[in-house]
Amino acid sequence: MMNLDSPDIFSGPCQVELLNGGDQRPGACRVDEHRLHRRLFIKGLTGGALASLASFTGLFHNPLFAAQTKKARKHCILLWLCGAPSQFETWDPKPGRPSGGPFGSIPTKIPGVQFSSLLPRCAGIADKLNIVRSMKTSQTEHLQAITLLQRGNPERAGFTRPTLGSVCSQAMGQLDSSIPNFVFLDPIPGGNEFETFKAGNWAGWLGAEYAPVRLGGDYTQFLNAAEEGIPQHDRESRETLRHFLTAKYERDRRSTVARSQNAAFERLKGMTASADLFDLNKLPAKDRERYGPGSFAQHSLMALNLVGHGAPFVMVANGMNWDNHVFQHEIHQMLVPELDRVLFHLITDLEQRGLLDNTLVIAMGEFGRSPWMNAARGRDHYPNAWSLMMTGCGLKRGVVTGATDEDGVEVVDKPYNEQNLFATIFSALGIDPYAEYDLPGMPTFHRVENQAEPIRELLA
Amino acid sequence: MKLTLDLDAKLPTGALGLAVAPDGSAACVACANGALYYVDLDSGDADPFDEKHSSFASGCVLLPDGKVLISGGYDGALLWHEVETGRCLRRVAAHNFWNWQLALSPDGRQLATTTGQYIPGGWKYEPAAETEPSVKVFDTATGNLVASFTHTPPVMSCGFNADGQYLAAANMMGEVRVWDLQSKFGSPPVAQWTSPDFTSWGTIKSHHYCGGIYGLAFAPDGKSLLGCGMGPMTDPMAGNGKMTWQRWNWQKGEKLDQIKDGQHGAGLMETVAWHPDGTHFIMAGRQAQGTWNLAVFNSADGNLVQSLDTKKRITQARFSADGTRLILSGAIGQPQRKDGKWPSWGRLQVYRVGV
Repeated sequence: MMNLDSPDIFSGPCQVELLNGGDQRPGACRVDEHRLHRRLFIKGLTGGALASLASFTGLFHNPLFAAQTKKARKHCILLWLCGAPSQFETWDPKPGRPSGGPFGSIPTKIPGVQFSSLLPRCAGIADKLNIVRSMKTSQTEHLQAITLLQRGNPERAGFTRPTLGSVCSQAMGQLDSSIPNFVFLDPIPGGNEFETFKAGNWAGWLGAEYAPVRLGGDYTQFLNAAEEGIPQHDRESRETLRHFLTAKYERDRRSTVARSQNAAFERLKGMTASADLFDLNKLPAKDRERYGPGSFAQHSLMALNLVGHGAPFVMVANGMNWDNHVFQHEIHQMLVPELDRVLFHLITDLEQRGLLDNTLVIAMGEFGRSPWMNAARGRDHYPNAWSLMMTGCGLKRGVVTGATDEDGVEVVDKPYNEQNLFATIFSALGIDPYAEYDLPGMPTFHRVENQAEPIRELLA
Repeated sequence: MKLTLDLDAKLPTGALGLAVAPDGSAACVACANGALYYVDLDSGDADPFDEKHSSFASGCVLLPDGKVLISGGYDGALLWHEVETGRCLRRVAAHNFWNWQLALSPDGRQLATTTGQYIPGGWKYEPAAETEPSVKVFDTATGNLVASFTHTPPVMSCGFNADGQYLAAANMMGEVRVWDLQSKFGSPPVAQWTSPDFTSWGTIKSHHYCGGIYGLAFAPDGKSLLGCGMGPMTDPMAGNGKMTWQRWNWQKGEKLDQIKDGQHGAGLMETVAWHPDGTHFIMAGRQAQGTWNLAVFNSADGNLVQSLDTKKRITQARFSADGTRLILSGAIGQPQRKDGKWPSWGRLQVYRVGV
């Protein structure tokens, strides 16, 4: 049997290589394997696009269903509010309560529903949004919670489940697309626990070809510099030679690592072919002004443009900037209005361009923030009762589901967890939520385990 | 200077603003539930005023006769309260956003207020320009606006000099501006400088700014200006920047002195206050690391002469007029709801000042 006990991202390829006829002692890794990984790892350009544990051979119960999903050209934009925004200062305000904080609430387009006063634009299009006010998850620390909300199921030691973007990339992407199937825009190399997550294995057992291409900020500049630095004829010659040599290496050695590297390179090559889509300066100045000057806003506009050009899955983050243990209100007074502006223009633009019906937009973090303030003017982590927004493809509009008590301490109606959420996302995108992964030598896994119910009141 | 704790009183919610009665027997406190309280400094008994702010009450000042309290809040409003009856005398809409801080001119005739929302103004989240004047001055007798000044928001601290001619205000970016209130309405500042030592721009978790100069006070002799806050952090949300004060020759914008190496811990310092005799000043706030969150400094050489760990966040510190009492407002971390009730988390402390 394949030894899959170790969750180490470096262990998988070595083990697979051994099974494929390696001549070393079991468990040992060759130096060149690690070197290849590290080269891929540099600067996160492949977003941790490291080798998978096993090849992916057949995901869907119904191949026709899978083909239709791809053909439907659906998209997903995930505004990943990493660090975790406060539900009190966004979608579930509690004005006048001890937990409420200093910001008031305002009426929305949905009768009887109020948002934080920091979200006036979203209040005006509330009938186009859906709010889940009753998320209740289990992880209180960032890395575990990010993992949970990016992968949609609790971890199981030794197995790396693919992230939402990787699953969507596999199910909705086109192998021959010049635009990467999974784009991750984030200008910040660091991010504490998010940095750790970013350096890990995004695609899990799906394989490196479904890992994200990471751009944004300095990474995009790197791309442009690389593109401009080599003449076209030289690039073509180099590419022909590289393709010949690596294909030979991969064939001769049956190297999973080489396959992973080739997959990553192909994505990067496709990306350079569409480099203009990643150049903010190529976007209309009026649009850039509408969205706002901050990097999160600009990348959200870029996400819109990428989706307009066919990108299946775009994730936008801005480090871990929502983790306001200190200066909660002082920083949320800036972050929430930016989110408000971005969501308003993004949803409006998608609708006006006829893309909203085919594009699922999700704005969420890994948990919420505590109803009580700490002594440092901050709110701490709170997975017990939090909110998120999702709208677009496959969903109704203007639904607010679930509820918390008067102080936002407990969920009092319709608690939903990460599995309910992922079942909803996959259902909305036309992806079978309960499909079984066919992984040789591994236990049975499903996209969403336990047959968890989607949030049915949101589904169109 | 020796500080001895005489009173440790509780208030329902965090105490953000503080004003001390002229005779030092009572204090008025602005709290996070929007309410203002009149507190007897011997017994700790607290009586609420009639009117509340619709958001946090952020600050308050008592007019020199002790009969009228003026409060500011995160609702942008100023409220005039009659101390004897507790009733509200006047409500003025001062700002479209928070009132961060209030300062009263020494003669009690003018009230300075600061405001400003932090909105992204660039790729690096530089603060955008103000959409209303960030600093305003009101006539305390009439409630009329008498002057307004431009600054880069958010402006979180302000103070008058001893004769009330000059007003200083400082912002999140560590920029200090000083205006001559006797000059023509709308005149530019007479002094302006920026200290980079109070502001963080994140390089680890986030790319935005935070911090700023949270407390500002002219020296009694009017020659220097003191500001406090927290030193830069690579993770702006760690709250572990250096406890910091700096003292400037405000007319030249030159730094005269700053907290000494080895005398500080880490954490946000929110308030500075001069002892009335000018020999010492104190700085206080929250301790993230170290041994104190309140310290007394010798004004002659800037050395720390005494420090205390009050085990809570201090938001404001005021000496009584005769210098015999030090009054502190503050908060502990808000306790969790228990059996449907929220425990108190505001605090008011009184220290006896000895030689």
